[in-house]
Amino acid sequence: MRASLKSEKPFAIGLPALVWQALFFYLPLALVFVSSFIRLSNEGKFQGFTLSHIATFLNLIYFKVIGASLLLALSNALLCFLVAFPLAYFLAFIAKGARNILLFLLIVPFWTNFLLHVYAWFYVLERHGIVNTLLQKIGLIETPIHFLNSTFATMIMMVYYYLPFMVLPIFSALESFNFSLIEASLDLGASWNSTFRRILLPLTRKGIIAGFFLVFIPSFGEFAIPELMGGERHAFVGTVVSQYILGEGTGSLGSAFTLLSALCLIAAAMLLYRLINFLLIPRMRRG
Amino acid sequence: MVREGKVARAGALLVTAFTYLFLYVPIIVLLVFSFNSERFPSPWTQFSLKWYKELLHSEDLWQSFRNSLVVAGSATLISLVSGICLIFYASQGGRIKRFLGMFYGNLLIPETVLAVSMLTLFATLKIPLGITTLILAHTVLGLGFVIPIVYARYRELDPHLTEASLDLGATPIQSFFKVTLPMLRPTMITTSLLVFIISFDDFILSYFVAGSSAQTLSLYILSMIRSGVSPVVNALSSILLVLSSLLVFIYFSFQTRVRIVP
Repeated sequence: MRASLKSEKPFAIGLPALVWQALFFYLPLALVFVSSFIRLSNEGKFQGFTLSHIATFLNLIYFKVIGASLLLALSNALLCFLVAFPLAYFLAFIAKGARNILLFLLIVPFWTNFLLHVYAWFYVLERHGIVNTLLQKIGLIETPIHFLNSTFATMIMMVYYYLPFMVLPIFSALESFNFSLIEASLDLGASWNSTFRRILLPLTRKGIIAGFFLVFIPSFGEFAIPELMGGERHAFVGTVVSQYILGEGTGSLGSAFTLLSALCLIAAAMLLYRLINFLLIPRMRRG
Repeated sequence: MVREGKVARAGALLVTAFTYLFLYVPIIVLLVFSFNSERFPSPWTQFSLKWYKELLHSEDLWQSFRNSLVVAGSATLISLVSGICLIFYASQGGRIKRFLGMFYGNLLIPETVLAVSMLTLFATLKIPLGITTLILAHTVLGLGFVIPIVYARYRELDPHLTEASLDLGATPIQSFFKVTLPMLRPTMITTSLLVFIISFDDFILSYFVAGSSAQTLSLYILSMIRSGVSPVVNALSSILLVLSSLLVFIYFSFQTRVRIVP
């Protein structure tokens, strides 16, 4: 039996997926890398190597753009975590019979086009939107507040869209977490705080880290939400990249900036990975 | 210390309640105003279906809707079939573990980077942008979901079942189609739904590789939003919400079955 299994290996049938992946994932990435370093004539002819595309972006303005994107991604991931952990805790340990319906209600907006949610928030935050109307009716404010076109509106929409990416991994980590460990720790005299700090957080670390990066990495390239909700006040990596890449004849500049910001993202992600592990793993107390 | 546990529970309850309010208040407002006879910001006047009627007559909308269906359908089909072929190769004794790492990058890199590199490829090879490039790009996204998920499920299957079928005289190919594939079916269905909806709702990849000829639903919605508030968008939202609830419902019903059958 074993022998017959090993004798036929129709490798060709496994190929399509591998070829597709090589042609449309790795080749394009390699092209971005290469085109950041070559000069092309107007007709697209190769004219030699250059560092000038990269050098264009070694400028404080562009590092501020990258910094703004990193800050956006980091604050989004932190806000999502602060909301997602209690929510996932509720779903895993308290919700019981309501758990499935709550999970269902969490996924439905997530599976609906996010632009429609951007649009929905216009209704809520607009000058004549429900928040302003409500606040005016109660008498808290007299003139409507400008919520739109602000960092506040951007962050609301970012958290709204990315929250499930954080909740689901933390939820599945908590679901497989043995709740009696908490009871044991409390029985043995630990306070709730130190149980949380030294048992619950470290043991659900994998879910937290997965959620963190599932939010952090895509948020870095986000440009639609900041542009629609935040106005054109701040430039983010996605905005700059799309302007260069979609512009006439600035493709290689776009590639160079993509490469540069991807390198910054990787460096930041590695640093954050170490930092989160450092924060979540409890250290032995001496004495 | 018991009191602190109660505080934690109350806190979790509070956050959950606020989150669901946060998630659903905008949606409910949107739905309510889709039935209002007057345009926003005028307050509620009268129940009306006129925005839904207007939606039905919008030729551009249905064209972009069809485009999105074609792209999402093709991307789902291609990524699923080629993924299953790879699993078939594994089931016949091929070792694919070394190739798996190749597919994790698809979801790890920011979609903007993926979109930029795709566009660079298409520009270099002078492939005209349109439905074809959309399908090519969305399939890459699909493979990033299909292969890791289906392979993980494949590894969880009980190898004794395949061995039994081989002992009973099935050829390895028969055993794949009659034993392995039926056991993978629920995972294949849920993963297809996931890939379909991700492609259908995708914005970033489409924004870069659609070109000017092929508009997807996301791009159409973007142009509608940019031209200002219109109750037609509300009507469209409520229809899409119903559709996605239906898909999530199907997804969930298969997920629980996966959990019940070990």
